Amino acid sequence: MKTALGIRLLLVWVSLSAITAAYLLIDRTAEHHGAPTASTVVSVSAIGLALFKVWMILREFMEVRRAPALLRGLAGLLVGLMAAVLLGLYFAGKAVG
Amino acid sequence: MTTVRRQATRRTPERIPGQGDMWVLVFFESLVFTSYFGVYLYYRGRHEAAFLEAQSHLDLGLGVLDTIVLLTSSWSIARCVQNARRDRHRAALRDACLTAALGVGFLGLKITEWTAQISAGRTFTSGDFFQHYFFLTIIHAVHLLIGFVVLGVLAHQLADPRRRSQKIVETCATYWHTVDFLWVLIFALLYVVR
Repeated sequence: MKTALGIRLLLVWVSLSAITAAYLLIDRTAEHHGAPTASTVVSVSAIGLALFKVWMILREFMEVRRAPALLRGLAGLLVGLMAAVLLGLYFAGKAVG
Repeated sequence: MTTVRRQATRRTPERIPGQGDMWVLVFFESLVFTSYFGVYLYYRGRHEAAFLEAQSHLDLGLGVLDTIVLLTSSWSIARCVQNARRDRHRAALRDACLTAALGVGFLGLKITEWTAQISAGRTFTSGDFFQHYFFLTIIHAVHLLIGFVVLGVLAHQLADPRRRSQKIVETCATYWHTVDFLWVLIFALLYVVR
């Protein structure tokens, strides 16, 4: 499928896979003598990258970018809500713990 | 040439991919999972040391491989939609079969991982982290199994010229992509968050 859209889908897949592989590098920054250590930077980066990937899948693979404004808005709202809940409760748990 | 292309892009009508009902399910499922993810992260923050110790028993490399396999299946089903739209039904059917094969590969990797954890004595009752780990990965696997039924419907549609419906093809693809993006979040939360 060598159309412009086919190439676009391929590039999206390469980007998503590259971001996934990058987790291996991110993870190494949260180690002390081979043992994993807590890291807010790693956690927030992991959640942020995952949400970016979700947005890419919604927009490109699920064709939200060509959907009516209502669906585009709802998809954006969903990702925003996910970000607020995940990061909010992550920091709330850390503050209480 | 550029103007013609721009006009052609402008003329592409905006429409909901697949059936609207499937999108209601996508939003509902996403909200249910997000609520659970929130609870998990809250407890993780409260018991950071215990979660970190238990999490160290997971193989991040295997998690990365799982995720790339599922992302590839998502790419494949997106190609299936494009091929079906261009009336290239044989190619679309091939893409649907590839998607199912990658789904089976993902499930095989998951079963391998579960077996290794259980053999090492880490089960559903081995502390909070593994309770969340088994619950989330198993509930996701159930969604994947439903995805195989959905792919069966899709393959049946593509194989029979009397049944072909682009709307159904897009609806099935939307479900499969949802299974994919839910795993993207599960992977980040279980394997990477520190």
